Amino acid sequence: MKIIRLEFLKLKKKTRTWLGPVLVFWLMMIAYPLTVEFLQEKLEVGFFSVLWIAILISMMLATEDIFLEDFNDGTLEQIMIKTSSFSTLVSVKILTYWIFVGIPISILSFIFSFGTTEDLALSLMIFPLSIISSYIFLNLFVMGNALSLNKGSVLGALVTMPLALPVLIVLGKSIIAIQLSINYLGFIFLLLGCLSIIIVTVPLVVSYIIKAHLE
Amino acid sequence: MNNNYLIVAENIGYKINENKLFHNLSFDVAEGEALHICGDNGSGKSTLIRIILGITKQTKGNIKNNSSHGITYLGHKNAIKNYLTLEDNILLMELNDKEELNKYIEILNLRKYMDVIAANLSFGQQKKLALLRIFLNNSDLIILDEPFVGLDIETQDILSEFLNNQLKMNKSIIYTSHISCQIESKILKIN
Amino acid sequence: MIKKFIHQFASPKTYLFQVNKFYNYIFFISVFIYISSITWGLLFTPEDFVQGNSFRIIYLHVPASFISQSLYAAMAVSSIVYLVWRVKLAAYLVIAIAPIGAMTTFIALISGSIWGIPTWGTWWQWDARITSTLILFIMYLGLISFHNSFSNYEKADKLLSWLVIVGAVNIPIIKKSVDWWSTLHQSASITLTNKPSIDPSMLYPLIGSIIGFFGLILCLVLLSSKNQILIREKTKSWIKDYV
Repeated sequence: MKIIRLEFLKLKKKTRTWLGPVLVFWLMMIAYPLTVEFLQEKLEVGFFSVLWIAILISMMLATEDIFLEDFNDGTLEQIMIKTSSFSTLVSVKILTYWIFVGIPISILSFIFSFGTTEDLALSLMIFPLSIISSYIFLNLFVMGNALSLNKGSVLGALVTMPLALPVLIVLGKSIIAIQLSINYLGFIFLLLGCLSIIIVTVPLVVSYIIKAHLE
Repeated sequence: MNNNYLIVAENIGYKINENKLFHNLSFDVAEGEALHICGDNGSGKSTLIRIILGITKQTKGNIKNNSSHGITYLGHKNAIKNYLTLEDNILLMELNDKEELNKYIEILNLRKYMDVIAANLSFGQQKKLALLRIFLNNSDLIILDEPFVGLDIETQDILSEFLNNQLKMNKSIIYTSHISCQIESKILKIN
Repeated sequence: MIKKFIHQFASPKTYLFQVNKFYNYIFFISVFIYISSITWGLLFTPEDFVQGNSFRIIYLHVPASFISQSLYAAMAVSSIVYLVWRVKLAAYLVIAIAPIGAMTTFIALISGSIWGIPTWGTWWQWDARITSTLILFIMYLGLISFHNSFSNYEKADKLLSWLVIVGAVNIPIIKKSVDWWSTLHQSASITLTNKPSIDPSMLYPLIGSIIGFFGLILCLVLLSSKNQILIREKTKSWIKDYV
């Protein structure tokens, strides 16, 4: 419990790290209509693709220096000496980032989809999708950033983006499912299934990766 | 003398990209003993410290750590968050003994900086802050990498005196230092 | 036990001398098989009923796309061997295979594009297989640039192995999901999956070309791993004697 409080304290003071990605997401969602002819129909065609990719990019930006600071100032070493495992730390970090970045972005995506489609039921269905997918993306990019710790986030994104592609496909399919009003819950459960596997494996793998970096 | 060894190393060696840093180092540290690791720049002092800590794995030999209450460590990186105030940084260190903490905050003259962001403190003041971890340790092995660098004479004396007291309390210390200090210790030279 | 066994038989030195011993045989046999099967395929098999002569590119395309995936599997196996038993040779193999994997994937993509122009009338189609091959290509390039960004080789090896294993778990997932994705979007165009079953007169040279191509790629892997050993073990005394 204490570790959650401390990670909260750290992230809260780093406004740039959590507010930055949320604002970039906002700007991307504003940038989209500006590139399309201003017709309601045309706006709706590509809207969800842009939404999912914007969530993906914001999560990438959010996790940019998730371990870098702790690595550079020696915090990771102190933790390793004490507990010799980073899995708890990793899970807690992902959770705090999700609360600070993932949830605001999901709320924004609800607002934006309501604004674009003016369909409340549809937008309410978008909200859980973005909440779950943002958590999955966070986990994946955390792994990428652990791999490319102190080598810059581009490398991390390059090696983890392929992992996120199947999730994007599922998200695309679920939009079609919503529009045809078939099997929406099935997709939610599919995503939750992915999330539950990722949530267990990523902290373990990342813990090994960080140890390899410290060596 | 007792035979309670906290650290026993046999013939350890380390290579990086197939280049030998050091090899066949053997040493031990018993309870109430201090070990001073000496060597030139780049001789691998910090690497040896990391091997003792169990962070880096030696490429050759064995090292055994028998400490039952864990290790307290302070290295070049002092785990201080630049963007947090001194008070928040102390909170992050998870130091439990509030009375002792207040005592050392007074001794080290840190009280008036409690609300200052760590980035605005001088190097020496940051180091003092990091030393709180050492002063409030509750482990049986203290490992220090260049603890005296950046400290004023007064603080150096406080630290030496503290470490000597710890030795009397049967704790063990391993440290590297360029500055000669008043700690009675065995010397391990690597080159 | 297993550890000792592997370490004995997988010392870079033994490996290097074994490679030197067998390399020429493997090379000439593969060249012979490949050349004879593509000669057979190009000159002596009849034209395809639907595709005319353009189908003959399969003698390059099919082996390349087949082997591009097997190479990734080989990398994954080596990575596991490296992480579990700390066999250095396995780590050398992983990084030796990566550029060759990228190259074969590239050949598969390019030959597929060339084939696509006369057959589908377009050089690119967002078909499931093509898309997942393209992703595989990018993954190979990612692995190479990842390994190159580290100065400490051992750290690079360890992290690369983790990355390869994570990728290996993901490749079937990508393939499945991309298949699934394209089933809804794909209109009735000719896809690789729906091609008519193949005539024996084309099949035998195709199998021959796969075997021959496989041998040639194996030769490249051997050379590249030899190269890795020479770079990485250059301080060892036996290398100095060898060179």
